[in-house]
Amino acid sequence: MKNINGKTVLTLGVIAFTLILAFILNGALDSYVRRILNLCAIYAIISLSLNLVNGFTGMFSLGQAGFMAIGAYAVAIFTVPAELRASGFYLEPMMPLLANIELPLIAALLLGGLLAALVAFVIGFPVLRLRGDYLAIATLGFSEIIRILFTNMQSVTNGALGIKNVPQLSNMFLIYLAAVITIALLHLLLTSSYGRALKAIREDEIVAEAMGINLLKHKLAAFVISAFFAGVGGGLYGALLGTVDPKNFIFTLTYNFVLIIVLGGLGSISGTVIASFIITIGMEWLRFFDEPLKLFGIEILIFRPGLRMVVFSVLLMVIVLFFQKGIMGQREISFDMLRRIPLRFGKRREDR
Amino acid sequence: MKKSISIMLTALLFVSVLPGCQSSGTNPDVIKIGVFEPLTGDNAGGGELEVEGVKLANELFPEVLGKKVELVIVDNKSDKAEAATAAARLVEQDKVNAIIGSWGSSLSMAAGNIVKDAKVPAVGASCTNPQVTLNNDYYFRVCFIDPFQGTVMANYAISKLGAKTAAIIQEVSNDYSVGLASFFKDSFILNTGAEDSIVDTENYQTGDKDFSAILTNIKAKNPDVIFAPGNFTESALIIKQARQLGIETPFLGGDTWETPDFLSVGGADVNGAAFSTFFDKSMTTTDAAKTFLSEYEKKNPGKEPAAVTALGYDAYILILDAITRANSAEGPAIRDALAQTLNFQGVTGSTTLDANGDAVKDAVIKTVEDGVFTYLDYVAAQ
Repeated sequence: MKNINGKTVLTLGVIAFTLILAFILNGALDSYVRRILNLCAIYAIISLSLNLVNGFTGMFSLGQAGFMAIGAYAVAIFTVPAELRASGFYLEPMMPLLANIELPLIAALLLGGLLAALVAFVIGFPVLRLRGDYLAIATLGFSEIIRILFTNMQSVTNGALGIKNVPQLSNMFLIYLAAVITIALLHLLLTSSYGRALKAIREDEIVAEAMGINLLKHKLAAFVISAFFAGVGGGLYGALLGTVDPKNFIFTLTYNFVLIIVLGGLGSISGTVIASFIITIGMEWLRFFDEPLKLFGIEILIFRPGLRMVVFSVLLMVIVLFFQKGIMGQREISFDMLRRIPLRFGKRREDR
Repeated sequence: MKKSISIMLTALLFVSVLPGCQSSGTNPDVIKIGVFEPLTGDNAGGGELEVEGVKLANELFPEVLGKKVELVIVDNKSDKAEAATAAARLVEQDKVNAIIGSWGSSLSMAAGNIVKDAKVPAVGASCTNPQVTLNNDYYFRVCFIDPFQGTVMANYAISKLGAKTAAIIQEVSNDYSVGLASFFKDSFILNTGAEDSIVDTENYQTGDKDFSAILTNIKAKNPDVIFAPGNFTESALIIKQARQLGIETPFLGGDTWETPDFLSVGGADVNGAAFSTFFDKSMTTTDAAKTFLSEYEKKNPGKEPAAVTALGYDAYILILDAITRANSAEGPAIRDALAQTLNFQGVTGSTTLDANGDAVKDAVIKTVEDGVFTYLDYVAAQ
């Protein structure tokens, strides 16, 4: 193979390092830190899936909560040990067809992703003809429909009661493996001719079409792939929590991910990953604002539960005001860029 | 400009690191009780009321086994992922000895595996979904569960109101409402002996405003009672609209109705509506209840304590009682003591925990009379 050069080796090295680190940290960290880091990776997967549609293809979709719900329910329905199911489904027994099917987690995750992709394919045909706000409204409506369907499918999803006893996934290695695979696949997709076509659609649909890009086909492909990763991410989310219920997937869940991609940069893989870590860790790290604080023996009254949300919002406003394109804009972290950092600082000094 | 911003951010970083240093480090002379409740987000109202009760109990009983009890209150943002992280933080970072919480059964369920794995007992105050404690040795609760409440109301409808037929209106997206409705149905059919005694079951979604279609269906079936457990706003609107349609059938519900909003939304129309709940002021059978009421009055003059506040208080004193009985603050020891709880005298009456960790206790039936909640009846635990 001709294209194996230094950079490829370096990339593979970074991937291997991440996975080995995740493997080592899995044993070394306590469950609290591990849980947060796992959540970071899962949020990164889901945010990346949303960024593929919103950031790279220039559509405005808000349906991620719905796709996540499909993935999470696939995991919840098929991985709960069969003997524990009856105790949860006490209002109405589980559908006999499903009651005894047990799948390993990875199969259930893939099934959830594929189901989400299938649903995306079916609704994509009519919905992707819409643009801008209309697409956002249609996808938002879709995610609510999914949630209400799941609420009413008592014998499949246990309705509003939700499903408990999902075997818990707390293995950092697996979750980070999923995140690395997602990043790698999206990177390969976006640097291929399909990816360039998607970016062309984002820049100008009419020009893209004039250049011979089939709009519907490419948009649909992006939407379906996005749904697949959202489904897998939702499955991991369900497995991390160990319980799933429809109220979890209310449309405001999607806003978390919109926040992450806007903060990280619409159209940047590395920005999305960075923002997922910043937001998830930031929320936990800001928790001390909720605790009572005594400074020099005086209790400061504003330090009470809820303050962290205020501080968090202020920080977000600051970031949005001063980094209008998000942390990374449309740029990516690459080895070339890292190499250029010292150069850039040198240049600045010269300018002065 | 950029410089000042970066100075500001750095200053913020420093301020934030300061208190962070203080809280770390475990003190062996302190017993920590973690409280994870929704203090922001959709369920903040309920969480706030529970914390109120826990805090009051902590002020009155700040010590156990000669050690100071410290509350660690964390917000779970009414979000499931956040609830799980908050619980993990309590057991790992704060090393709490026991946990109270949370308002909302699904939030409690998200913490289930964490407390189980860490062997830290948790006591729920008002999470009524049976799944919370099911297959979890470390989760307990001081409230009765939906099956009991459903049965109580079915018996009340049959024996006191002489009902032969009933209609159900359930909030289909609410686990509490669906559970309660289902157990009411089973019990009603069992006690009347007639399969067709439930003449109609109607569904609505949280946030619905217009119920005329549902109510017209029910009017045609002409039931003796209507059981409509659910969120207080929607329930009050249902009753209001039913009266406007000329339905005079009595309405029955669950403990969520006991809020000032139910009265203000429903107005005169909710008079006569009956529901089951945990606690009533006039039923101060235990010493704990007397203390609770007088202290609550002192802190909040003229304010009626909510049932969940009383339950939060009970959860705290039950944990303290278990620690005393176990004579240890180790998780498994507290757990064993909690599991053996028998006739514990709390604010909300005498509590016994069954094999699942659910409270077996008496229920109170209340009604609305001239715009005030009044005591109606009392149903002993089975």
